[in-house]
Formats: sequence, structure tokens, C-alpha cells
Amino acid sequence: MAEETTINSLLIADIGSVHTRLVLLDLVEGQYRLVASSRARTTAQPPLSSVSRGLEHAAERMTEMIGRRLLSPEPDQAFFIPETGGHGVDAFLATGSAGRPMRVFVVGLTPEISLTSARHVLAGTYVTVTDSLNPDDLRSREELVNTILRDEPDLIFIVGGTDGGAEDILIEQVETVRAALSLVTRGKMPTVLFAGNRELRRRVDAMLGSLTTVFAAKNIRPSLQEENLFPAQIELAMVYDDYRSSSPGGFAAGGRQSRIGVIPTTQGYMSAIRYLSELPEPGIGPLCVDVGSANSLLMAGVNHEPRFTIRTDLGVGHNAVQALAHITPASLQRWLPFDSSPADLRDYAWNKQLYPGTMPVTDEDLMIEQAFAREIIRLLVADARPDWGLGHGSLLPHFDPIIAAGAILTEAQHPGISAMLLLDALQPAGITRLRLDPHNLLSALGVAAYLDPVIMVQALESGGIVNLGTAFCPLGSVRDGSDALYVQIRLADGRVINHTVKGGEIWMAPTVPGLQARVTVKMRRGLSIQGKRRLSATVMTGTAGIIFDARGRPLVMPRTKTRAARFLQWQYAMSGRELSLSPKPQEDIQLPSLDDVDDLFPDLDSGFEPFSDFDGGFEQQEPV
Amino acid sequence: MSYYPDMTIIQGMARIQRERRLPPNVVPDTSSTLVSLGMPTQAMQIVLQGDMRGEYRILDVGKFFKVRDPDEVETLIQVHPEQRVQFGQELARRGRGRRAKVLQSPADGEVVRIERGQIILQVSERHVEILARVPGDIEDAEARAVQIVTRGAAIQCAWGNGQSVFGPYQFLPEDGFFALSKMDVSISEYRNVVVISTAPVSKGDLLVARQQEAWGVVAPSMPSDLREFAMQLKFPVLLTEGFGQRRPTSLIYNLLQTNIGRTAAFDAVTPDPWSTEQPEIVIPLPSGSVTPPTPALDQPLQVGTQVRIVRRPWEGFIGEVVELPPKPQVIENGLQVRCARVQLSNSRVEVIPLANLELLGQSVGRPPIDQL
Repeated sequence: MAEETTINSLLIADIGSVHTRLVLLDLVEGQYRLVASSRARTTAQPPLSSVSRGLEHAAERMTEMIGRRLLSPEPDQAFFIPETGGHGVDAFLATGSAGRPMRVFVVGLTPEISLTSARHVLAGTYVTVTDSLNPDDLRSREELVNTILRDEPDLIFIVGGTDGGAEDILIEQVETVRAALSLVTRGKMPTVLFAGNRELRRRVDAMLGSLTTVFAAKNIRPSLQEENLFPAQIELAMVYDDYRSSSPGGFAAGGRQSRIGVIPTTQGYMSAIRYLSELPEPGIGPLCVDVGSANSLLMAGVNHEPRFTIRTDLGVGHNAVQALAHITPASLQRWLPFDSSPADLRDYAWNKQLYPGTMPVTDEDLMIEQAFAREIIRLLVADARPDWGLGHGSLLPHFDPIIAAGAILTEAQHPGISAMLLLDALQPAGITRLRLDPHNLLSALGVAAYLDPVIMVQALESGGIVNLGTAFCPLGSVRDGSDALYVQIRLADGRVINHTVKGGEIWMAPTVPGLQARVTVKMRRGLSIQGKRRLSATVMTGTAGIIFDARGRPLVMPRTKTRAARFLQWQYAMSGRELSLSPKPQEDIQLPSLDDVDDLFPDLDSGFEPFSDFDGGFEQQEPV
Repeated sequence: MSYYPDMTIIQGMARIQRERRLPPNVVPDTSSTLVSLGMPTQAMQIVLQGDMRGEYRILDVGKFFKVRDPDEVETLIQVHPEQRVQFGQELARRGRGRRAKVLQSPADGEVVRIERGQIILQVSERHVEILARVPGDIEDAEARAVQIVTRGAAIQCAWGNGQSVFGPYQFLPEDGFFALSKMDVSISEYRNVVVISTAPVSKGDLLVARQQEAWGVVAPSMPSDLREFAMQLKFPVLLTEGFGQRRPTSLIYNLLQTNIGRTAAFDAVTPDPWSTEQPEIVIPLPSGSVTPPTPALDQPLQVGTQVRIVRRPWEGFIGEVVELPPKPQVIENGLQVRCARVQLSNSRVEVIPLANLELLGQSVGRPPIDQL
């Protein structure tokens, strides 16, 4: 898909459930660089119901930041002006994850083969599988027809059969689909995507083509041994664009500006993870985790192949209530150094779902939200593990680097907290590089690679991905408080830091980012990294310095009695900031009179002064 | 730096346009015209109706009569497509007299198709009626949707239990639901009115409201665990702020207080992120010859803007933006975020994250709503 004309500048939008982000890439001295990023509230939902407004707001903001005009002043012309005289852009692309997930009904032959492969394809985009059908289904034709119609799927995904294999049995399933579609007289007709036995493609089109739009892709299981997901994933991206364009939220107008329509954000991730998996790096491959307001996803490079887990029911905003139903309040409470009842946590989740774009202000609220993020990631890992095929142990396979996206992870109060959230949730063992993707650059560049792969290669090196630092996390555990790690850090500026990390502690070495450091770690008996108790490694310091985690792998959670104190210690170690946890807030709300309701809560003033002594070591990432 | 916040419309006087639409699986009843362009409507007036069609029944006539010849099967069928049939009605017959075998309709419904010896019947499940839910004038009427325009005070709420009512309302007495529970229902002034509470409500409070035959309850919040219970109540429960212990937004309750004695539409739609409908209270007001403004939907935050804070510790407060610092600010929990300095009604100025501010639907520069 490489473009023949040179692209000097490229604007890429990601329309998320809460934020619409824009990144601007430009040729600087012959290399594509991230020049600026901006964001605005997504405006897909009422009252505006048009993502174009959010795009305009984000573009206006970028213009304010860098002085480059992007929007066309003429309403009847193209949205973005072409590049000329330092203004405008050559190309615009858009990805999206906002809006209701696409509902999919899956038709296949065997649950273990074709239906499993179908789920692998669907794992790459934002879908909810409503139901599935296979020849072993004991339901009558009448029940199946009613099931399809009742679920109102947006897509019927038909797979099954090897190329040149048996035909009649799949055709029988397609006949059920035809019977159902022929009864759709109002509402939206589901689209069909066929990625089964290639010999049946024409017959399926003939059976269903007069009723609905039929997309077709190469067989996802051309033989029993071979799984070929990529062509179906690409076709699914087109179906998604089609679905989004016809959905409320004004995606059609936004998509018309983009050269490739609005494709799922995950498609960009896929492309980027595929590239990163090919790089000669230590570890199995990269691992990228993105916790959003409505969706959360985990992408891993396993044996140079991307593996995806997307949960459209897990998020810290729009889907906080659904997430809590999976997580349970008890799991959240493990990460909270204060008392919070299950009812309080449910109230919190419901309020967050009502106001998904809001931001925690108190320490308690922030910790609850970060606890959600930890547990969502743990669920994602549990879901993804069987698909990785890397054993069934409780520890995370050695993915490296680990890259985090989503505001809850990238915009913590301190980079050290971002790092700790990843370490708590994923529990990597060994030496792992931690990265942040605050601009959603990875998915944007993955999409840019559709135009020209060079854009991704060059722009990835331009510094848009933030180096959090390297974490040393030994396997095993030692008694709390006993010496666990003897660390020596020789920095490139000549400074030497010696430190002993105690069991049950986490330590963030105080270094400035961007320095090369030679790290030597000696571990107490019971701890090891790569089977060794002493090792040296050269690392680059990051915004969270260098991290040494002696809390044990698997992570040993403090006992209930000591949990609060220990948890506050960890927070302090990773942020340099002590928490002032107020007593359970607003226990008693008095009955207000109507004269002046605002004045009824004077007591709330106390204890809510902003911290003025915070060193502000974490810069807001917006201007680059 | 421009920022466009979310919005909850709280307006003392506005032009309010609401769409009422039949669900996609309902066939509109076009046999009688319920409303027409320009026609005034009452809140509890039916503006749309239709049949919600149920599941399909596939009746294999050949199999039923053990007849294989498709041509012969065709001759046995006694109904035709689009024909409405009733439960027990004869669909196909073989033979004559007392020895005839008859295939009867298993339900009320409509024959949608006859093909390959099969009768496909769509079951009629129930009649659906859509209420106007606000009084006003019909601005547009189609088979599946109508637009209703009204003028008055508009208060968008956070949550509702799916019920609606149009009627008078009354603030709770000083001792709240406790005092209400002691009243004689036959002479209570709270009977057949919507009860307004400025404090969060409990299950006991809702039970008192039901026992006192209240027409509805409006409150800032309630425990989220009460949702299922509230959904079973036959009267509307409207939460203006959310769940748990939430502070009431003074503007909302002042607006209700100002209009006490009037009747209002309490539309407790359960919010759905993918739907356009929001729970709300609409108080119709005479506007004379002046057309009130439509709520301004796409306004950037500016100095002077009236805002509502929706997250603790200042949730429920209304204030005025007095400064928009260009750089991110460090807030109480250490997060570094873009903020506004907001002067609260008690003159205190607080630094509030932009993400926690909502506009109220006013155009910038207009006086505060409670002065309208």
C-alpha cells in the first residue's frame, strides 16, 4: 500500500472513548519525526454526536501550540488544508475505539479449529461476540434464526472448511444465515464476512449477496495445520470502518477525511507490534498494554507474531461497572491502603461510568482508579496466557520491552508510579525495560506504516515513546526487612551509587533520564535473575530512573495488618511523595436547606490543600 | 488554550426540542394519526404506537401433513403473506369434514412468508405506545419519530429508573422522609406529587415514598446497590448527581424551588452511553413572544463561564471560571493536569481539573441561570 507521492507531513487521529488525540509527523532533516501531539474530548456522544467536532478541537489546540494552521476555513472544503508554507498536512489518517463495539455472530464448523481461529481474528478489533453456530449445535433452525435476529448482530462472520474440503455442511450453516437475513425487514441489516473454504466464496456470495453486503477474505484455515489470520483481519478493518461510518457519532464525516477511513486502533497496534517483534531485542518480544475508558487490550509479540487480547467490557471509565463485576471489590481492596467497603467501590464505579472523562483529585480516588487498572491488566494477562502458548506458570513470560498506553497508566502522578503499576499488574521477572506511550504513537505509527513503513521506523526512534527505565525484578522471595539486593550503579557521568534493597521493598534509583549506567546486582540466597545471583548489565536510565523490585516474584502481597503501611512505603519509594489519606470522606451528608446549599459543607475545605512541595519531575507530555 | 468541556444542561428558560422514536423492532401503527405538525401535546399523551413483533415460527406444512410433493403442499395452505392471524386460526388443512387434519396458528401474528412448503409466522408480542413525556408542540412527525418543542426550565440529571410522570412536585419537610412517614396518606400534601429531597435517599426513603403514594422522587444520589430496587418501582426516581453520598447541585434545587407550584415532566430515562436520551426534568414555562435560546452545545471554556464541578471534593458546586492557567497544575493527589481557577459561590477560589468541569448549556456572557 506504499504511496508513490512523497508525504512530508502526516496527521494521525485516534478517536478514543474519552479523548481524541492527534499526532503530527513531519520530515525534519530527511527523517520523519513526531512534531506535536494534542488532544480534546471525544464528541461522539450527545449532545454533539459528531466526532468531527472533537477532531476540530484537537486540531485547534495543536495550532495554538505550534502555530501551524491545520483546519480549512471554508466549511465546504476538505477538513484539513493541504501542506503549503508551513501550514496544513499532506495526509490524514484516523483510527478509533470510541462507540459501541461491533456485535458479531460467528458461524463455523468446528469449535476447536475454525471457531477458535475466528476468535483470533476478532481479537484484533472492538467486537462483542453475541453467539456462534456450528454443526454440533442442537438448536432447531427456528431457534437459530430467532437467535440471530434477537441479537441484532452488526456482522455475521462465516468461517470453516479447509480449501477444497467438504462443502455441504458449511452451506447448511449459511442457509440458516440466509433464512435469518431474509427476515430482516427493518433496522440494520448485518454485514457478512466470509473467510472460509475458498471454493465456497462464490456460492456464499450468491446465497447472501442479494440480501446484504458480503465481504470476503482468504480462508483463515486453508489447511488444518495452517492459520492465516492477516487477510481476514485486514478485511475486518474495512468492515469496522463500514460499521463505524453507519453508526451514530458522525464517524462517516471524520472517516471521509482519512485516506483509509476510520480503522480500529488495534489495527495500528498490530502493525507496530509486528514490526517491533522483528527487532533483535532481548526477551520473547514486546508487550503492549492499553487500559482505556471503555476498552482494554494487551498485545504481545510471540515468536515474531502479534497476539492480541481485547476486552470491550473492561475499562476505567465507560466500563468501570462491568470491570468491577469481573474484578470483584475484594481484588481491588488489596491495592488500597485505606478502608473502602464493597458498596463504596460499587458507588465509585457507577459514578465513574456516569462521568467517565473525569479525573480523580483526592489520593483515595486516584488509588481506586489505579487499583482498577492493575486488576484489569491482570485479567487481560489471564485471558491472553493460553493464546501465547508459553506455558502455564503464574509468572509473566519474559516480554521486553513492556509498553503502556492509556491515560491511567501514562499520566500517573509520577513516572515511578506508572512503573509500579506495570510491575504490580504484570509482575515481570528478570530485567525488563518499561516504556510509556503517552501520545498513542504506537498505534498511530502502525497505521502510518500502511502508507509507508519508513514513517514508522523513523518516527519510532524520534523519542515519542518515553523510556520509564529498566526494572530488575528477581525471582523468588526473601523475608521482609532482610537485605535482599546489593546494587551498584556506575553512571556515565562518573557518579557511583551503592544501595541495599531490603526484602519487601521497591527502590527507584535517583538518576536523571537518558544516562547510560552499568548496574551490578548481588542477590541474597533465594533470589535470582536468569538463574544467577550476581549479574551486571548496561542500561539507559529513564524518567523513573532504574527500578529494583525486591518484593518477590510472584509478588508477595503484604498481610492485611501491615498492608496500608507497606503500600504507602511503596508509593513513597516510587514517587517521593507522602500521601495524606483523609478519613473516609463525606460519611455524613447533612440535610441541606435550600437557602445556600453550597455553604452547607464548610468542613470539606480542610485537608484538601494542593501539595506545593512536589518537585514536578514529570512533565506533561503534550508539546513535543 | 481552548478546551471544550462536557455539558449538563441546567437552564432556567430554554427552547427544548426532544425526539420520541419507536424502537427498531416495532412496526408503526399507521392506521390512525396520533399527532400532526404544529399540534400541541400533553406530556402523558401517546404520540407514537406500534406492534413490537416477536419471534418467528417456522411451520413446515409438508412435514406436518406428511406430504412430500411441494405442489400439493401449496394447495393445503389457507393463508397468504402479510395476513394477520390469531392463535388457533387455521393455517393449512388436509381433508374434509371431521376427518380433516388442520394446522393451527400457534400464536397471534402475521404470515411474513410462505416458501418451500413452510409458513413463516412472526408473532405479535405486544402493543407499544410512546408518550410525549414533555408537553409542547409537534415540530415534525413521521411514522417512526416525532419532534416535540417546548419552552421552560431544563434540568438534565445523572440517572433515572426508567419511569416518567408529569405532575406537581413538593420539597420534603424539614425532617425529610422521617416526617413523611408519619403523615396520614389520605390527607398528606405529598400524596400524588413528586417528592424532592436535597439529601441522598435510602431504600427506606423510597419505601416511604411508595407508602405515601408519591408520584416520584428526585434526590442528589442513592447507594448504587439500590438500582435494582429502584428499577422495580412504578414511579420515577431521578438522581441529579449520581450514586453514594453526593452533594446536591444548588442550582438545580434552587431552580426547582423557584418554580414550586408548577407542574413538571419528570423523565427518569435510564442513561445509556450509546443513546441520545438523558434523564431530565422539564418545567414548562410561558415565554411570551420571546423565543428563548436553545442551549449552546459547543462552547469553549472561557474566563467568566459558569461551570458545575462533578467530582469530589467539590462536586455539586457551581462556580465561575476566573483564570485558565496555560500550564498544567499539580493537584491534590500529585497529578499534573490542565486546570481552571474557579470561584465558588462562597467566594473561595479553587484549582479544578478541566476534566471535572461541566458547562450548563449557557452562552458565555449570559447572567447566571438562577437570575434569569
